[in-house]
Amino acid sequence: MTSAATTATAPKLADRMRAIVGPTNVLASPSDLVVYECDGFTIEKNKPDVVVFPTSTEQIVAIVKACGELGVPFVPRGAGTSLAGGCLPIGGGVMIALTRMKRILEVNYRDRYAIIEPGVVNLWLTNHIKPNGYHFAPDPSSQGACTIGGNVATNSGGPHTLKYGVTVNHVLGVELVLPDGRVVQTGGPHEDNPGYDLTGVIVGSEGTFGVATKAWVRITRNPEAYRTLLGVFESVDDATNTISEIIGAGIIPGALELLDSLILQAVEAAFRFGFPLDAGAVLIMEVDGLDAGLDQDAERIVEIAKRNNAREVRRANTEAERLLLWKSRKQAFGAVGRLAPSYCTQDGVVPRTKLPEILRFIRAVGTKYNIRIANVFHAGDGNIHPILLFDERDADQVKRVLGASHEILDECIRLGGSVTGEHGIGVEKIDFMPKLFSPEDLAMMVRLRSAFNPENRCSPQKMLPTAGACIEQSKAGRHAAM
Amino acid sequence: MPTTTHIDGFGPLSMTTPTTTAELAQVVRAAAAGSTALYPVGGGTKLALGTPPTRSGQAVSMHGLARIIDFPARDMTVTVEAGITIRELRDTLAREKLRLPIDVAHADRATLGGIIAANTSGPRRYGFGTLRDYVIGISALNDEGNEFKAGGRVVKNVAGYDICKLLTGSLGTLGIITQVTLKLRPLAEEQAIISLACDADKVEQILANLHGSRTRPICLDLLNRLAARRVFEQAHLPVPDAAWVLLVGYEGNADAVSWQVQQLVKEVGILAKLEARVDFTAQPLWDALVEFADRPGDELVLKSSMLPSAVATFCLNADRDGAALRAHAANGIVYGHWSADATLDCAAETLKRWRESSGTIITRCHSEWKRTLDVWGPPRNDAWLMREVKAKFDPKNIFNPGRFVAGI
Ligand SMILES: Cc1cc2nc3c(=O)[nH]c(=O)nc-3n(C[C@H](O)[C@H](O)[C@H](O)COP(=O)(O)OP(=O)(O)OC[C@H]3O[C@@H](n4cnc5c(N)ncnc54)[C@H](O)[C@@H]3O)c2cc1C
Ligand SMILES: Cc1cc2nc3c(=O)[nH]c(=O)nc-3n(C[C@H](O)[C@H](O)[C@H](O)COP(=O)(O)OP(=O)(O)OC[C@H]3O[C@@H](n4cnc5c(N)ncnc54)[C@H](O)[C@@H]3O)c2cc1C
Repeated sequence: MTSAATTATAPKLADRMRAIVGPTNVLASPSDLVVYECDGFTIEKNKPDVVVFPTSTEQIVAIVKACGELGVPFVPRGAGTSLAGGCLPIGGGVMIALTRMKRILEVNYRDRYAIIEPGVVNLWLTNHIKPNGYHFAPDPSSQGACTIGGNVATNSGGPHTLKYGVTVNHVLGVELVLPDGRVVQTGGPHEDNPGYDLTGVIVGSEGTFGVATKAWVRITRNPEAYRTLLGVFESVDDATNTISEIIGAGIIPGALELLDSLILQAVEAAFRFGFPLDAGAVLIMEVDGLDAGLDQDAERIVEIAKRNNAREVRRANTEAERLLLWKSRKQAFGAVGRLAPSYCTQDGVVPRTKLPEILRFIRAVGTKYNIRIANVFHAGDGNIHPILLFDERDADQVKRVLGASHEILDECIRLGGSVTGEHGIGVEKIDFMPKLFSPEDLAMMVRLRSAFNPENRCSPQKMLPTAGACIEQSKAGRHAAM
Repeated sequence: MPTTTHIDGFGPLSMTTPTTTAELAQVVRAAAAGSTALYPVGGGTKLALGTPPTRSGQAVSMHGLARIIDFPARDMTVTVEAGITIRELRDTLAREKLRLPIDVAHADRATLGGIIAANTSGPRRYGFGTLRDYVIGISALNDEGNEFKAGGRVVKNVAGYDICKLLTGSLGTLGIITQVTLKLRPLAEEQAIISLACDADKVEQILANLHGSRTRPICLDLLNRLAARRVFEQAHLPVPDAAWVLLVGYEGNADAVSWQVQQLVKEVGILAKLEARVDFTAQPLWDALVEFADRPGDELVLKSSMLPSAVATFCLNADRDGAALRAHAANGIVYGHWSADATLDCAAETLKRWRESSGTIITRCHSEWKRTLDVWGPPRNDAWLMREVKAKFDPKNIFNPGRFVAGI
């Protein structure tokens, strides 16, 4: 087992790091380290002993080898937008920040892939290839800040995953520095390399297998056209039935987003889109693809919505209207600030047809704990994001928020779902792993990790529970999210 | 009833057919106790894949484990046991207008576990991806005979390591797959397949045009004359008289498909002779294209991976080698099929040449040839890590030992 650097060893560690990456790429003073004591999950905090900003794979090899010699743990970090505490440096040690490895190394349109360094911000890649009519399909709401290395590590999703898939569906290969300093390339631009799909398990391993130093990612052609519809419903049940029926009719929309009445009030106050404030829920329904087929799909969606008691179905008639609609959706979280001083976003999944049940449950939990809960989420995937509103200065409210969150996640499991659709396990949800998985399942996951990270020196105590590593949560974070 | 079987020329091996996971677990535990090998058998359509077995052991038929566990059609997922045949799975899903969009030859025999272990794919992979995109939950028996699972039953889930991906394409070397949850797709409302017959000097130009086409094909299969003859004859259709035939597939709603067919004519109509088949008239050609993957007469089949932009040149060069050539052109995958006239020398020579410009494996040949020919090709730089994973999952090396890449 590795241990943190002590006051005696920390300066030595910093010196070793400076020798590898140069003094301007190392932070070691307590005031500098404060920024790195947590990520988007703020309940748990711990400072690393040193933060390094390598600029090459070779430097990372030297860094992890030094960590091995000195017996200290290390943790990779991208932009630090994780909502699950993936970047928490448990046991201190070295934080390897990848934000200075930010080159787009190659874009090959003919063969539809790009090679990027891990610190490239998600949206940069899309902006870079947009002039040629391409984009990088995974589009987390944090895409203006989060790195592709972080997306690879967490297998990020976004509003468009229903049709286009999550990050793993768009990663062809990874270069990984293993905790012992060996460098391996899995996959690559060719499809069907013989052997195990190691790329497929590295994606989503939440930084516990090593440091991703390069990725081969698929680039996707932009849809030719969109039809964007807004369905206004009296009840959440009508809206969720509409979702099931649209998909049951064989239409896979590019996005299907549900906003409930509480979030509508906040969004309307912020953007004045003209949402009806007395509606039970609205659905943003967008089909994309070839212009030729879209009217047919859009008409059927209108029909289905009407059949499910939609009060009205509006169409975004101009691009400006469409963009305003999406702005209202994407910045819904910012608008939540109008409702309460603090809020906490949960991330759970249920089978799509169980959405009415889980939403009823969430309402009941809100009443039980006396906490207001707003809902805005990727309804097509069954991926819920209840936002629990509270005031973090009130300890009792904080306790009630945690209690309510846990009940909601337990109910997701009971309904056959999962406790995370995109934000990850990290440290936040580690206690739920034994509820989702049997000891046998977890044992196989430990075996897999031990092939990459046998001493558990890379991101220790993440994702898989270890005896005695239970985290006592007493504060709910002020999460932005989704 | 005890039966025996041969696997890739090795045997006889006794074969048992457990009907419950508990029975299967007993078989695994017995093998683990004696450190004897276990060879899972699905439909037995592809047991010759890989290096021939060398260790005595036991074959395990998966046919007794073929139940449908849960089919919540409106959630567009299904959970089934791994021994189910693709035909039964397909028919079940079709009743709810759903499908697993993976092309499988010999669907009445091939099993779900077998196609996942072998990572089977076909022409539609351009539009729909491969099995890794559809397996969202998996259960398997480990080296101790204990069942473990990964993933779940929902379409979006990042809890825990994605062992579904690891087992997909692992050729049965990490455990025996017992149960699978799949994400499904709706059946297409309309389909079309257009054949473009052209000369050698037009192939690259057409492929490049299609790459930038306003249409969105879901299949781009390139066939040389010999392959085209087999596919069209199998479909009972007149064989296009051309050196190369490109088959372009579309699926979607009726408006989108008919627009794309017309658009394609506009875009490449002057470069090739076009013939479009829409709706049910497209079906025989689709079926023939899928079944072409595994024809009874094939003696040697090579599979090469390269960048899509390299496919035209590769195929034009390989056309001299006497094979029926078929490429999933937009995926950079080329298959060469040789029938009775193939010789070992000729195979060795072709294999060597193909490996100069692509990653090439043998997916079918005489078992004896495998003493001379390298089935998997030179190990890639991550082979040691694969061996490490194998050692952790199967320390006694009981699951399909020695059959996969890098001696796994
Ligand atoms: C406002 C907001 C909205 C969000 N919306 C979404 C959303 O829609 N969908 C979604 O999926 N997530 C969302 N998230 C969560 C988060 O943005 C994603 O998980 C994102 O992928 C993290 O990227 P990052 O660069 O910030 O990684 P970090 O937070 O720095 O790291 C995340 C994890 O990845 C590991 N890691 C990072 N880089 C590497 C590397 N190069 N090699 C190995 N491991 C590495 C870290 O150790 C950590 O475990 C949101 C977060 C916020 C704050
Ligand atoms: C390298 C390679 C190349 C291929 N090339 C072609 C091709 O050219 N054309 C084509 O049509 N198909 C090809 N395939 C696809 C594939 O061989 C068949 O479609 C599929 O294997 C048929 O299923 P089956 O049930 O008959 O499997 P089987 O032939 O019975 O078994 C195939 C393999 O899977 C293992 N297996 C079977 N069931 C299980 C289980 N439940 N758990 C664990 N392991 C199991 C077996 O041990 C065996 O190694 C290829 C596959 C591979 C790996």
